[in-house]
Amino acid sequence: MTTQIKLRDCAKTFADGTRALAPFDLTIEGGETIVLLGPSGCGKTTILRMIAGLEFPDKGGVITFDGDDVTHQSIEKRRVGMVFQSYALFPNMTVAQNVAYGLKVHGVSRDESDARVKAMLEMMHIEMLADRAIDQLSGGQRQRVALARAIAVQPRVLLLDEPLTALDAKLRVRLRTEINALLRKLGITAVYVTHDQEEAMALGDRIVVMQKGEIAQIGTPRDIYRKPQNPFVADFVGAANRLDGQMRDGRLHIGNHVFDAVDAFDPRHGAIIDQGPVELFFRADGLSTCDAQDADFTGRVEAVSYLGERLRLTVSGIGPQSVMVDTHADDVIAAGADVHCQINPDRLTIFPAMRERTPAASDAR
Amino acid sequence: MSWLSNIKEGRSRPSLPLSVFGRAAPGAGSPVVLAFLMMPGIIVVAAFFLIPLALVVMRVADGPDGWATYFVILTNGWYFASLVQTLLMSAGVTLTALILCSICGLFLVRNQFAGRSMLTALLTLPLSFPGTVVGFMVIMLAGRQGVIGSVSDAIFGEKLVFAYEISGLFIGYLYFSIPRVILAVMASAEKLDPQLEEAARSLGAPTWRVVKDVILPGLMPGLISSGAICFATAMGAFGTAFTLATDIDVLPMVIYTEFTRNANVAVAAALSIALGAMTWVVLFVVRCFVGNSTDVAPRGGA
Repeated sequence: MTTQIKLRDCAKTFADGTRALAPFDLTIEGGETIVLLGPSGCGKTTILRMIAGLEFPDKGGVITFDGDDVTHQSIEKRRVGMVFQSYALFPNMTVAQNVAYGLKVHGVSRDESDARVKAMLEMMHIEMLADRAIDQLSGGQRQRVALARAIAVQPRVLLLDEPLTALDAKLRVRLRTEINALLRKLGITAVYVTHDQEEAMALGDRIVVMQKGEIAQIGTPRDIYRKPQNPFVADFVGAANRLDGQMRDGRLHIGNHVFDAVDAFDPRHGAIIDQGPVELFFRADGLSTCDAQDADFTGRVEAVSYLGERLRLTVSGIGPQSVMVDTHADDVIAAGADVHCQINPDRLTIFPAMRERTPAASDAR
Repeated sequence: MSWLSNIKEGRSRPSLPLSVFGRAAPGAGSPVVLAFLMMPGIIVVAAFFLIPLALVVMRVADGPDGWATYFVILTNGWYFASLVQTLLMSAGVTLTALILCSICGLFLVRNQFAGRSMLTALLTLPLSFPGTVVGFMVIMLAGRQGVIGSVSDAIFGEKLVFAYEISGLFIGYLYFSIPRVILAVMASAEKLDPQLEEAARSLGAPTWRVVKDVILPGLMPGLISSGAICFATAMGAFGTAFTLATDIDVLPMVIYTEFTRNANVAVAAALSIALGAMTWVVLFVVRCFVGNSTDVAPRGGA
């Protein structure tokens, strides 16, 4: 029932000679939800459009659906469901006509089509909107209609191109939960493109992090979050804090502080880092406030943001840039105060230092 | 800098005319002020449209048949035939122009190639030509000494001449209409959302269905408004017909003949009213049928 998708040696060079995608392999298991995550221009949408049949890979690339070679098949033959950021609903049709469109095109009988449309609208909780015109709907309602329309034809794969980006934050979270439940319920193979790492974490069985036309890492949300394989991924999935350090005989030196028993593993070379300069990436939970005698660092609070369940401090004087430190929401700390911080070594991601930081990593933020 | 931005703000604040046409601002929107501001418009409309129209309408009654002259267009075979011919030709020109321009307009908007803007400029060149020049060009093309005649004479030994009949007029009007329609189509085509087509294709729609269900509905407002202008222009155009021949029986020619040669003022007036009314009715019916689009401005009034 579910469709496995394989892309082999797929690359994309546009007509003007720009390399959009370096050759890559990707297998999406039947029923799996894959999220393509990356900053704009990283090639994630190009991969989605290749699977859809709206773009074709350069010569040599092969795309299969369950072993069928669909490389040269155009989109109307591939049986894919698409959901767009702009909704792309037909403005000259009602909600029900939009959902029924694919069925009509496939020659499904009137009775069956009516029944299927009704079921789809009920599943998306929009049955009361059936006879509305598209321009009478809110953004959230439109995206529900678009989902119903895409699913109604029982596609082999559901392709979602930033479907929630145009919605406001609260609705985005709600619809995200609904989409997640829907994908589990249908058990359909799905490819979801987004630049929002939270969305990626919430929806993906696996996440493909993209950078400048290349796959930077493929992994489960947990892997991507806890074990980023390079500074770009670490930075992109929210480890925004960075410090420089030195490994000397297996011990980590940061400034005047020495930490024992730190696993410094370079995933790119598959080797333990024993010596040399390193970059440390960590989230706001990699540092915590403490008393003066336990402090690894003392910095100055530049800004304080109240996030509800915690207080986020922007602290300068620790690294080359200011770092984020989370503390208890009840703490009373004002900008300008000195604050003592302790490092949590197991929350650090350590990479051997590169001479320069990849510009894309800083652009992405 | 702040004084500068203040001045800018002051300027952008809605001034009197805006509040008059907008929703009633206190004081400014009173009916008296409104009527006063509309006076110039009313005077122009009255002097150059309503009064002459009323005079023409009245003039019909002075004829030998009185008000019955209005029925002359239905009872007189020659007038009636010319009316039908004019209607058919205008509808034909409009349809042909719409079809040709939809294809060309879409092509021009969707393809980048060397000389594209040059070609667009060239296609819109006839905008600046009066009807007589267009008629002259049709004669050069399909007249007795025309290019088509010479070529067909050389190949088939027979001179193909059709400039002086209704088909010559058809070509002339088509040529005349293409720039207006193509500009409207290109404007609409640029606004089409390519993702709508991708969505339709992803649902399995073959090309003809995409055209029918997505592209045509998207172009429709532009097609209707430019088609209306095209139709109204073809109904009333005179210059081209006059240049080509005096015996093409399109309604404007008949009116001219009745008015100047036969001094049959009452009939000419009745035919004028009929021409205007017919054009208006056709445009009205099309607008009712093709739908609710607000873009279908009655810009094509003859």
